[in-house]
Amino acid sequence: MAREVDLLVIGAGPGGYVAAIRAAQLGLKTLLVDKDHRLGGECLNYGCIPSKTLIFTANLVHKMRGAGEMGVEFTGLHVNMIKLQQWRVSVIDRLNRGIEQLCKANGVDILYGMASFVDPHRVRVEGAPAPDGPTPPSEEVVAGTIIVATGSTPMDLPSFRFDRETIISSKEALELAAVPWDLLVIGGGVTGLELGTYFAKMGSHVTVVELLEQVLPGTEPEVARLVTRNLKRLGVEVHVSSKVLSWAEKGARLVIAVETPEGRKEIEADKVLVSVGRRPNTEGLNLAAAGVEADAKGFVRVDAQMRTNVPHIFAIGDVTGQPFLAHKASKEGIVAAEVAAGQPSAADWKALPTAIFTDPEVATVGLDEAKAVAAGHDVRVGKVPFAALGRALAAGETEGFVKVVMDVKSERILGVQIVGPDASDLISEMAVAIEMGATAHDIALTIHPHPTLPEAIMEAAEAALGKAIHIVNRK
Amino acid sequence: MTKEFKLPDIGEGVHEGEITKWLVKEGDPIKEEQLFVEVMTDKVTVQLPSPFTGTVLKLLAKEGEVVRVGNAIIVVAEEGEAAQPAPAPSIEPPVIAKEPASVAPAAPPAPPGEILATPGVRKLAREVKVDLATVRGTGPRGRITDEDVLAAVGGAKPVSGVTPPAGPAAEPAVPAAKLAVEPISEPAAKPATEPIAEPAAKRAVPPGLEERIAVHGIRRRIAEKMQKSKNTAAHFTYVEEVDMTNLVHLREKLKVKAEKKGTKLTYLPFIIRAVVAALKDHPTLNASLDDEKGEVVVKRYYNIGIATATDAGLIVPVVHDADKTDLYGLAREIERLAEASRTNKLTPRDVQGGTFSITSLGALGGILATPIINWPEVAILGVHRIEKRPVVRNDQVVVHEMMYLTCSFDHRVIDGHIGAAFVESVKEYLEHPALLFVEA
Repeated sequence: MAREVDLLVIGAGPGGYVAAIRAAQLGLKTLLVDKDHRLGGECLNYGCIPSKTLIFTANLVHKMRGAGEMGVEFTGLHVNMIKLQQWRVSVIDRLNRGIEQLCKANGVDILYGMASFVDPHRVRVEGAPAPDGPTPPSEEVVAGTIIVATGSTPMDLPSFRFDRETIISSKEALELAAVPWDLLVIGGGVTGLELGTYFAKMGSHVTVVELLEQVLPGTEPEVARLVTRNLKRLGVEVHVSSKVLSWAEKGARLVIAVETPEGRKEIEADKVLVSVGRRPNTEGLNLAAAGVEADAKGFVRVDAQMRTNVPHIFAIGDVTGQPFLAHKASKEGIVAAEVAAGQPSAADWKALPTAIFTDPEVATVGLDEAKAVAAGHDVRVGKVPFAALGRALAAGETEGFVKVVMDVKSERILGVQIVGPDASDLISEMAVAIEMGATAHDIALTIHPHPTLPEAIMEAAEAALGKAIHIVNRK
Repeated sequence: MTKEFKLPDIGEGVHEGEITKWLVKEGDPIKEEQLFVEVMTDKVTVQLPSPFTGTVLKLLAKEGEVVRVGNAIIVVAEEGEAAQPAPAPSIEPPVIAKEPASVAPAAPPAPPGEILATPGVRKLAREVKVDLATVRGTGPRGRITDEDVLAAVGGAKPVSGVTPPAGPAAEPAVPAAKLAVEPISEPAAKPATEPIAEPAAKRAVPPGLEERIAVHGIRRRIAEKMQKSKNTAAHFTYVEEVDMTNLVHLREKLKVKAEKKGTKLTYLPFIIRAVVAALKDHPTLNASLDDEKGEVVVKRYYNIGIATATDAGLIVPVVHDADKTDLYGLAREIERLAEASRTNKLTPRDVQGGTFSITSLGALGGILATPIINWPEVAILGVHRIEKRPVVRNDQVVVHEMMYLTCSFDHRVIDGHIGAAFVESVKEYLEHPALLFVEA
């Protein structure tokens, strides 16, 4: 006897579980299926959360080591990696349980298993073996509406296949209980740099190999330069416009051949982290049985209401393609759930903020200067370095800047780029500003408490208007 | 010079019109007097002529969109002027000077294509099905506010589960003075529309099981008017049976004559004639009640509204000066109105100025109905099917052509015996149609 539901959500990541909760809130009988016995998906279990848990610890260690100038002196600073890993697991566990409780409290049913379409309305769920219990029985689910939220998986390279021991993905990297002496990171994107920075702070000698001419491709060159400069200060070797060719074993280590603009190099490493992109998790899902179309790379195409080409099947988050951001998946999940419940919701946001947890952090929202000009705007930029800010100096974090990109005619804020301390926390103010259609005046005229980091945003808005107080205005 | 054309006041009590069809597109040349748009109002569908000659720069409303009277619907570059890319807005948004004169002049509203609205306003717009690209923002620097969105739907309440924005009640964007063309008619946003809005569905229904149809245009006007009538007039309905045998015979004869004149003669011209004659006998029925002044307005002209079903809903075209036309003239006018109703060619005059209405269910018939008065008129006559029924004449059961009349009155104006006398008078004329022609 097939289980009948109004809405089936496949995948319990930050897109899927959020969609399920909203749908249940709106009165739909909702079933959430995940192949893992841990809710929260890649983000919570193998991505954002564990990586931030480790990164913040590394930042603490790094900060303490650098605090001599402030008079902080000590000997014997030591990181117990086993304990750190236990701490990581405990953080994830707490959040796993939290999501499960939220789902239950909202009336979302949960099924652990691998989903596979039988036809457009029927999905077979093959019970996934539990780590500490019996495998749940397989079931067939008949659903009026289905949300595909299966996410994505790190890709490897033909010449660097994951062996999960020495050639690893971010998942294994985050679970390492021993800091590698030498780490080679293939791919200077967000994941590669975040984890590269973490290992560098923990004491690894890290080499980053990026195929394109700058790290963090797609980010403003000025931002990438600042991040690169700091990586080098941490002892990270950065090779841009470079390509890994092959590897060979040398004892327990690998020797990797890299083609760089300066010529071919042999780099030794204990571990190779491959972070070159992600592919959609559609394998085994049998989307073809539902008639759902995907693009050449396997990402599912959706409209502004997150509907696939099959009107009652929605897709959200990573499985729909770039950018791979948990907060985007969550919002899309809410849109899909609301549309499924008959509401006229749509993905109509103007601003999709990003946060990169490098050192310093990078956060952006809206257009950068070049993109604003390309879009036909007459642009003025207000830029304020954190070095001009009392709070940043007091905290010893003067690296970076806030850049406000303003449309000259309307004085509206088009975009903001922040590199510097707590950039990831600072950006939301400007996401609100852009969604509200705020002008630089609106930000400049709003009182920002002193001494805090957001003062830099206020000051940058004033700078865009040519009337900053704490920096010399550009004429 | 670019010129804007604002939706004119196309009929008494008309506050808004639905753009049903554009007859020109952007970039088209346009001539003065050229019909360029078809607008459906609550009363009538009309095609409007252009007051300008030039080039169409921009259509400010989409087909299907409801535009309030006084809002611009088209921008035309007048002849001799190069087409300009952006229309010059005629209504400058209020600009709050934040700076001394040293800074650039007040920022213009958002350029076309760019929609300045907060996430909350965007969500509201989707919920009430308003395309923000067609809404003119009245907020700072042209920002579209909740009120602008609500004004664009004619102040209709948002559907399902939407909390109306706090603060002052939604007001139409156009000053009330511009809208109040008919003093006794009320602004569209009054609570009369509220009972129509469905309560928020507690449990969502799977897609496809329900359809939501926006109530606007004729449908909404019907809703409002019927509600208004029922809430205002003290309805009572009087029923009488009429022996139509004589009239059936007479019509059979005259039908042939009418056909020769190229006219189809139905019973309606006879009934109108009988009604006019009866109204002359009982003048207080050809009246309206001015609720505000507390006065009965008795009319000495006889404009008879004929309730007519169309695909869009019920409309009531009016046979003007029905007392001044002969039977064939009435037949021709009824035919013209029916054809114009079907093809959306009614003029504003065709649906205005009624003094008394007739509703005929024709052959569909039924036995009886209780018509709702076409407020602010004070009575309405319902005409039913003519059919052979056994009746007693001279103590003999015979078969006659019988018909029921149902007449609803506003008891505030018309007492029972007056209403009864009127219906008896109509009955008299219909049973003895010769009287109709003697009177004339």
